[in-house]
Amino acid sequence: MTVIDAATSTPPHAPSASSRRAARGLAAVMPAFALVSVVFVLPVLALLLRSVLEPQPGLQNYEAFFASTTYLKVLANTFLVAGTVTVVTVLLGFPVAWFLAIAPAFWSRLLFAIVILSMWTNLLARTYAWMVLLQRTGVVNRTLMGLGLISEPLPLINNLVGVTIGMTYIMLPFMILPLHATIRAIDPSVFQAAALCGASRWHALTRVFLPLTASGIAAGALMVFVMSLGYFITPALLGGTSNMMLAELIAQLVQSLLDWGLAGAAAVVLLTVTLAIYAVQLRFFGFGRAAG
Amino acid sequence: MTFLDIRNVSKHFGSVAAVSNVSLEIARGEFVTFLGPSGSGKSTTLYMIAGFFEPSAGDIRIDGAGILGLPSNKRNIGMVFQRYTLFPHLTVAENVAFPLRVRRRPQAEVARKVEEMLALVRLDRFADRMPAQLSGGQQQRVALARALAYDPPLLLMDEPLSALDKKLREEIQAEIRRIHRETGVTILYVTHDQEEALSLSDRVALFNHGRIEQVGKGRELYEQPSTRFVAGFVGHSNFLDCTVAARNDHRADVVFPDGSRLPGTPVHRGAHAGAAAGLMIRPDRVRIGARGAAATSAGVDAVLSDATFIGDTFHFVATTAWGAPVSIRVPASAPMPHQHAVGDRVRLSWDPGQARLFDN
Repeated sequence: MTVIDAATSTPPHAPSASSRRAARGLAAVMPAFALVSVVFVLPVLALLLRSVLEPQPGLQNYEAFFASTTYLKVLANTFLVAGTVTVVTVLLGFPVAWFLAIAPAFWSRLLFAIVILSMWTNLLARTYAWMVLLQRTGVVNRTLMGLGLISEPLPLINNLVGVTIGMTYIMLPFMILPLHATIRAIDPSVFQAAALCGASRWHALTRVFLPLTASGIAAGALMVFVMSLGYFITPALLGGTSNMMLAELIAQLVQSLLDWGLAGAAAVVLLTVTLAIYAVQLRFFGFGRAAG
Repeated sequence: MTFLDIRNVSKHFGSVAAVSNVSLEIARGEFVTFLGPSGSGKSTTLYMIAGFFEPSAGDIRIDGAGILGLPSNKRNIGMVFQRYTLFPHLTVAENVAFPLRVRRRPQAEVARKVEEMLALVRLDRFADRMPAQLSGGQQQRVALARALAYDPPLLLMDEPLSALDKKLREEIQAEIRRIHRETGVTILYVTHDQEEALSLSDRVALFNHGRIEQVGKGRELYEQPSTRFVAGFVGHSNFLDCTVAARNDHRADVVFPDGSRLPGTPVHRGAHAGAAAGLMIRPDRVRIGARGAAATSAGVDAVLSDATFIGDTFHFVATTAWGAPVSIRVPASAPMPHQHAVGDRVRLSWDPGQARLFDN
């Protein structure tokens, strides 16, 4: 009733006013748009062109990429690591985001500072720190051996285990922050309402809390998964030569083999996958909600 | 027969007593309002019944059985909140179905009940909307349907209309009265709006500083306030400073600061001879007459200092000889022997039984 009234009672001159506003807004984004075009869109287009033009015109680079079991294994590694990192950051990040939202101000500020500071610390420093922790004679292996839990050092580095551990740590804030924003936005009285409706704690969790946080989980998961797909430094330092990820492969193709065509094809595959995932996200959670 | 029995309930937050020794018996099917200023303990008392707070002392029983040991979800109480606490991820119909689903009622019963409840609040056409697509008033009606879907014997309402504008408030008040009539549910309603309290409920419990000052029908609170707070909170009142000259059982003679004496004002308690007191008289019970004409009736001399026409009533302010303002309301339709104008010297009079005396 009131809703319908509000929807149909838009004044007739409103569209022209709003389009004028939109035009002004467009003018304001032009500088950023121009910058992105020059430093991002054009190079990506150039790479895309190289992938179909070098060494001669055609799709042979893509054929080579998908025909090679080595490259397909790199692609599989990339998805495996990105997927594992995403799942683990959801499982580890959810309780943290929840605690941040409900904890007394002191504890929540302290924890927030830790999360943000770890994000602000130099990425190389953090990755090297993990190398120290995870190596054969590192703290983790020595502690486990000291406790008598293992007799031989575990292979925690120069493989996908190391990459997954290091990337999970680096990606955690990207899960915690949007999820925290979503949880904070939930009106706590819906849980009182749920309780009086007869919902047990379990029902309040599964039928109210989790569905209400779904958009935050989706936003965080998208961010973590997509960033993980193209991550370079951590896999390069903590990973091994036998189990590469896609970004490492691209770097190697360009730097060592000077094969710009194949590197371009690999980059286009990565970009396509990323855009496809983003499209799925938009379809189910919408643009605004994906941003948390 | 008492349905809801609140016995000597207190709630302390640290050293602050939010509710002190509140007792109230409510019959099945009654509509009782907790009225009071903010911070008076009315909502805290409601939350203890809902199970959000544990009382520091006292007992709460429904049908003779204590409910304090039960968590909120086992109390089988319905509640409508101040803010619209619909589940934002569920449609209107799913919101109403929620309490039935967590109770694992059969699908056919859920569907039937949802339909019945949405018809009750006249939102049948909105079953598939999301809460965000509804106006505030519609959301609150869905909340009402959800709270009644499982036929709780007791419905709590915590300032459910305070976020709505006046017109919508009146519309939903009428809905609430109708639903109370049709379902016979016992309703406990919290508000700080005295008009809402008087128009909705069978009985009003007026809270102040964590205690109930007075319980009774709205009319009783208005006409026989037992404390100065009740007289001041419910309806408009004038308080005239005076001294008690003589006191018998239920009446007192008072002397005003200008020396004029007024006999026979009813006293509820206090107001001993010699004490400073306040004489309460409602603005609509004061008559304005010509000076000296009928000086036999109880009253005081005054000068009109303000006159306002506000549609259905005239609102006058008169100033007594000792400078106290007296507010007077006269229905615009009342026959007026004189046209009163600001500056007129008048005699204010009232039936002594309409005034009441309270300790200062």
